[in-house]
Amino acid sequence: MGSKQPFEFRARFIELDEGLEVLHTSVERLRQAMGRTVDDRPLMLFETALGEIGSNVLTHGRPPGTEMPVDYVLRFEGGVVEASLTDSGAPVHEHLKREMPAHESERGRGLAMARSLLDELGYRRDGDVNRWRLVKRL
Amino acid sequence: MALDVQTRQTDGGIIVLAATGRLDVAGAPALKDAVSEAAKNGSSRVVIDMEGISFVDSTGLGSVISALKQIRGSQGDLRLAAPNQQVRVVLELTTLDRVFPYYATVEEALTGF
Repeated sequence: MGSKQPFEFRARFIELDEGLEVLHTSVERLRQAMGRTVDDRPLMLFETALGEIGSNVLTHGRPPGTEMPVDYVLRFEGGVVEASLTDSGAPVHEHLKREMPAHESERGRGLAMARSLLDELGYRRDGDVNRWRLVKRL
Repeated sequence: MALDVQTRQTDGGIIVLAATGRLDVAGAPALKDAVSEAAKNGSSRVVIDMEGISFVDSTGLGSVISALKQIRGSQGDLRLAAPNQQVRVVLELTTLDRVFPYYATVEEALTGF
């Protein structure tokens, strides 16, 4: 497949390990479909951002005591890759502008990393769900 | 993919932790456990062999920072060896490459340590 042909991958998952595996598998399938190598920098940066948002969603994205699934879509079209993740966790508006913390901090880098790696990181609260949109030109 | 960590000690008494898999939110506890075990045994010089690490995220990076604090807290030091391109990008993006000296190979990391 050339880079001009569209690609779409859809999945729904609940568990952390399962979800992370699906996210990386989806990027690997896109990489293969595009004929790019594992060292392809734009795709590697996108996968890094996807890992950050994905792990946040999988860790915090469901109300305590429930097993609400996360919905995931990965699309590539017209030279642009876009991932969407929908979860049922609490709103996260207050975390969105978090800056990169000091070197000694062991936490709190994920969103700052994702913002700087993507062309666009979208978030909106839609009723009871969080909708994330990750966009990068490849 | 769970992170697998193999521990060995060099003739010079340096602990080498060879990690394989993804050092992410799921894999970070395995590295923390291995470092805690090394620190408990009094090891003050630790090299993390990252050749087998395919991907790192911010939680995985947090476990490396935790390891550094733990080892430096007992007057020791930590070096990273053989990070792949993705790991190097994450270290540079977070400017943690200024905190962690990383080496192209384990042999280079062991030299003069």
